[in-house]
Amino acid sequence: MLAIEDLTVRYRTPGGAVEALSSVSLKVRTGSTLAVVGESGSGKSTVALAAMALLPPEAQTPSGRVLFDGTDVLKLDAQRRRRLRGSRIALVFQDPFSVLNPSLRIAEQVGEGLVYHRGFSDERALSRAIELLDEVGIANPRAVARAYPHELSGGMRQRALIAGALAAEPELLILDEPTTALDVTIEAQILDLLEDLQARRGLTMLFISHNLGVVRRIADDIAVLYAGQVVEEGATERILQAPVHPYTKGLLAAIPRLGRGRTRLASIPGRLPDLRAPPAGCRFAPRCPFAVAASALPQELRHVGDRNVRCCRAQELVATAWPVQDEAASGTLRAVLSPSEPILRVDGLSKTFTLTRGFGALSFEGWRPVMRPVRVKAVDEVAIEIAPGEVLGLVGESGSGKTTLGRAILRLIEPDRGSIRIAGEAVSGKPQKALVPMRRAAQIVFQNPDSSLNPRKTVRELVGRPIERFRLAPSGEVPGRVRALLDLVRLPAHYADRYPHQMSGGEKQRVGIARALATEPRFIVCDEPVSALDVSVQAAIVNLLADLRDRLGVAYLFISHDISVVAHIADRIAVMYRGRIVETGPAEEVMRAPRDPYTITLLSAVPTVDGPPLGKRARDEIAQR
Amino acid sequence: MPLQLKAGLLIVGTIVLLGLLAPWIAPHPWDTISMRTRFLPPSATYWLGTDEYGRDVLSRLLMGTRLSLAMGVSATLVSLAFGVPIGLAAGYFRGKTDELLMRSADVLMAVPPIMLGLLVLAVTPPSLWKTAVAVGFVYIPPIARVTRSVTLALANEEFIQAARARAESTSYILFREILPNAWPPLIVEASLRVTYAILLGSALSFLGLGAQPPSSDWGLMISEARSFIDRAPWIALAPGFAMCLLVIGINLVGDGARERLDPRLKARVGKS
Repeated sequence: MLAIEDLTVRYRTPGGAVEALSSVSLKVRTGSTLAVVGESGSGKSTVALAAMALLPPEAQTPSGRVLFDGTDVLKLDAQRRRRLRGSRIALVFQDPFSVLNPSLRIAEQVGEGLVYHRGFSDERALSRAIELLDEVGIANPRAVARAYPHELSGGMRQRALIAGALAAEPELLILDEPTTALDVTIEAQILDLLEDLQARRGLTMLFISHNLGVVRRIADDIAVLYAGQVVEEGATERILQAPVHPYTKGLLAAIPRLGRGRTRLASIPGRLPDLRAPPAGCRFAPRCPFAVAASALPQELRHVGDRNVRCCRAQELVATAWPVQDEAASGTLRAVLSPSEPILRVDGLSKTFTLTRGFGALSFEGWRPVMRPVRVKAVDEVAIEIAPGEVLGLVGESGSGKTTLGRAILRLIEPDRGSIRIAGEAVSGKPQKALVPMRRAAQIVFQNPDSSLNPRKTVRELVGRPIERFRLAPSGEVPGRVRALLDLVRLPAHYADRYPHQMSGGEKQRVGIARALATEPRFIVCDEPVSALDVSVQAAIVNLLADLRDRLGVAYLFISHDISVVAHIADRIAVMYRGRIVETGPAEEVMRAPRDPYTITLLSAVPTVDGPPLGKRARDEIAQR
Repeated sequence: MPLQLKAGLLIVGTIVLLGLLAPWIAPHPWDTISMRTRFLPPSATYWLGTDEYGRDVLSRLLMGTRLSLAMGVSATLVSLAFGVPIGLAAGYFRGKTDELLMRSADVLMAVPPIMLGLLVLAVTPPSLWKTAVAVGFVYIPPIARVTRSVTLALANEEFIQAARARAESTSYILFREILPNAWPPLIVEASLRVTYAILLGSALSFLGLGAQPPSSDWGLMISEARSFIDRAPWIALAPGFAMCLLVIGINLVGDGARERLDPRLKARVGKS
């Protein structure tokens, strides 16, 4: 139904033209789902935009066609394109929080296309919108139709967006990372819905994602994109079970899996090539452990068994696995844990946020005005303990209060109640000025590498500042210390002169870790340290943190929404739900035999790349047998 | 380098240079009165003509460049010196501090600038440096506002949390972590204020509250030439044109500089 042929897309940027896609060809068969998979910078979003003929004005297409049902979408005039978009092709975007217009009711946005393209009257569009909302599994569709976007949760909004996309009965649905902004349990529901729609409506879908576990549940075929090229394409299960291209192998090996316990993850070294001047040969070669001299020649997509692979060694590599460097095998270098006093002891910690104050809290009881501020218990009577050198994994979905807890422990947010002791010293109840010794002993690593480093300081200044601040070394020795710290996080010494914008996300995160280590802390709060990173980079950072714990005996509070990442590094796991810790226990135990119903839901919702398929379709099939 | 920055630097650079070299390159003494050369139109001897006291307009214009530039720059320094700390404090502490500082700024902004300048100068005898302080005072609110809005956004960044997590003092956070990131928009705003300050300073001089005769401030020159505008328009046109050129030049520099100053703008490459 949709065929992209030899498509090359370049973006004009101040630094020169960036080639986002290089001669990409893809086919989506009628009634099937093709997933385009890749990490950031692979060009996958450009594929979605090109398929909708929505490329921005700074994009040029020197070659290629996008054929929808035989017509070249890129050559259509604006009028025809618009007609095509609204009626036969529909797009669902990544972020349900910013796509809906905040000042229009849901029904208007769902029914918009019907009024515009089909000439429906407003009443008919409304009743159809309610039917559609019902179809995408929204309880009480009448009320939701009248609601404004801010009144709905993320999952509900994404359902409403899908309803809006379905309104015009499109033949092709393009989904650009539709579940990335959502929690796993909500993600699982949306995937259920999409599977259901596939079966019921026979929809053709182009599914863009970075998450192979998600893709597995929904796609018939996969095309793996790397640096603007398709490197491997074929049937989903075949590729996931037996990847052939080295990049696919690495990507799959880097994914943290449930039930593997505390092992080092495989990682892919290096970074994307500069797409302003893409290398002529294999674009993955600099990062590839299998690269040979022939890799420097231009690579063609060639047929290997049941799929196409862009690698000259594809045939011989079919059965070879991605090499796992077992740097510092887990456990061998572990500092022996003495049953001494815990490094962190938190008791009865609570923090309530007041969302509305002043006039916002004013409401009327009959005619009587009353102040009724909306309060949220972000952290509710939490008690945790962490031993020296221990990693406590804190898992929870967005809004569960895990970030608030992490920051309240370090008094970056003032808790309402509760006692905190770090390294045997009381932290709660002291004025901020008296916290200097604690601030040296306890540090924090943040989620967003773009926001956690001051963009106007060099790495030397960023990492050196804590040493100066706490006068840990005479000023002459600071550069040497910085070099040692960079070495510790495996960054070359010349990075000391770089500014944050000159580094990749993973490198910035390493600098963030080096900065935290600069004070020689005994305890670090890692607040979603890998959530903003690509899978291949994420693995390297998790391994680094595990190594540092083993070598330096630092204890972590490792906060993450991704329980499979946590399971790889944590000794114990605490599950947080609506401000409370609902379950704590040794990592293996929590993963193997979760007791709390919420933990069970969380574990079963995680999309996996191996093991029995968990999708609804698969569950139904099992039930039928 | 973008074209507008080049053009702006060329204009401003030339004017600054001319102003600095004025005593040496001025073709005639700027303050010698000569009744025989009154109201001469532009000629080979007097390139821009002469004024009602027979003084060379070009020489006076060149000397006036220094006064106007000094007025613009020193007034802007005054508003930066007060506006930046006020904006940083309002944006970082939020809440009551913010309300107090910003509502006071609103009150200041509600009064027309020229009135405020008049108010400051009316109570004391006029002098040039006092005019500069008065003009700078008038432009504290816009500087404070720009600083506050940048600070509000920056205060939520994780690197500020990181600074707090190593017990940095508030002044370190404000001036070493936040301020360097606030410079790009501030420089644009400040360059705009330099031009406003030159104009306002000239306006006050025009009203007799700034530079005093016989000094050759541009505003004062226009003011004095006003009565003869039908007989000798060149006396008013020359300083007016010079002021216009300087204002345009500074604006071009400010706009062009913003792009050069922000390292993030340079690094931005196409999205995936």
